[in-house]
Amino acid sequence: MDEPALIRNAQHGDLDAFNTLVLAYQDIVYNTALRILGDEDLAADASQEAFIHAFRALNSYRGGSFRAWLLRTVTNACYDELRRKQRHPSTPLEPETEDGDEMETPRWLADPDGSPEELLDKAEIEHAIQHCLENLPTDFRAVVVLADIQGLDYSEVASALKKPVGTIKSRLARARLRLRECLHSFGELLPSAFRLEEERTL
Amino acid sequence: MNSPSFHDVEQLSAYLDGQLSQAEKTRLETRLQSDPAIAATLTDLRQARAILRRTPGRRSPRNFTLTPKMAGIKPPVPRLVPTLGWASAVAMVLFVFTLGTNLLGQISFGANAPMLSAAPMTSEGYGLGGGPPATDNSQVLPTPEPYALTVPEPTPSGEPRLAQPPAAPSSTKASQPIDFWIYAWLGLSIILILAALLVRLTNDQAFRRKVGSKRNQ
Repeated sequence: MDEPALIRNAQHGDLDAFNTLVLAYQDIVYNTALRILGDEDLAADASQEAFIHAFRALNSYRGGSFRAWLLRTVTNACYDELRRKQRHPSTPLEPETEDGDEMETPRWLADPDGSPEELLDKAEIEHAIQHCLENLPTDFRAVVVLADIQGLDYSEVASALKKPVGTIKSRLARARLRLRECLHSFGELLPSAFRLEEERTL
Repeated sequence: MNSPSFHDVEQLSAYLDGQLSQAEKTRLETRLQSDPAIAATLTDLRQARAILRRTPGRRSPRNFTLTPKMAGIKPPVPRLVPTLGWASAVAMVLFVFTLGTNLLGQISFGANAPMLSAAPMTSEGYGLGGGPPATDNSQVLPTPEPYALTVPEPTPSGEPRLAQPPAAPSSTKASQPIDFWIYAWLGLSIILILAALLVRLTNDQAFRRKVGSKRNQ
């Protein structure tokens, strides 16, 4: 994929070129929105909004990391969504069993990769991470999602969030500390395979 | 063993990401060997980062590609449209002109036409008694055959009226060229409007076909 050429063409109004970029980046954009918002439907809406806005504002892109530029757009869309959510809070409808207990979301049923045990482990990690992320202030959450989950370097995160690198460094350190405390509270609930790997890392 | 300050935590976090200068890195590594609290904090941060990096990635639930409508793209304007835009304006002017002329024509050639068309006939009409006294009435009174046939009945007052019948044929003759132009302008207006609509419609259909075929690919 010749990204600079696609961007140039898209800047001249070539929608096909832009859609090629969308297909390349949609998973990153969606995952970022999902981790910041913690809701699949809202994340899909924010991703779509972000791509629409990105196409219209593409001429404001002046080079540098296109991924960072795109993630700034989706982060802004997520902030808008969070503000809207704050103004109009809603109660999500959780599926229930016949006994009236809350039904676990059987995501593993829809995932074709891995054994049921592995998928259950994945779901538990995901649940723990999402819970801890949602306990962070929004600004810290965005930094940690971009740096640690999406793997952007400090300058890219700074560019995406329009903050100085020093601020990013400071927020990331605080966010990691808080997350460690929160994840620690899950303790034994975290999958054993994960804990063993952590020991090896140390 | 002192608990690390926030500056230490920041340094440790940056150290994990390889964001420290060589001098800062050396200084921190020396402290890590001598200060267990700093080393424990580094372990905590590393674990937190490792867990986050293992966050399972999700596939997007659908494609977020944009349609021309979502992107706010309108069908391109065909080359003929600016010309036809003017053509529409010209057609409108012609239409109004035609309508106005037609109405005026009805007024002027309906009620007043006989009077107006009769004017050129006054040299002959004078001979019937309405004009100045003729020098020789005997030469005028024997009117030509057609006129004689159409001379109206004398009015009750006994005064002869101006001859009406000759006016009628000359009125229709005068209105014929105007009628022609009215219909010509009207026809031209309609043709221009239809041409503009046809070009626009063809262009829109071509655009929809193009977009539809791209989306199906």
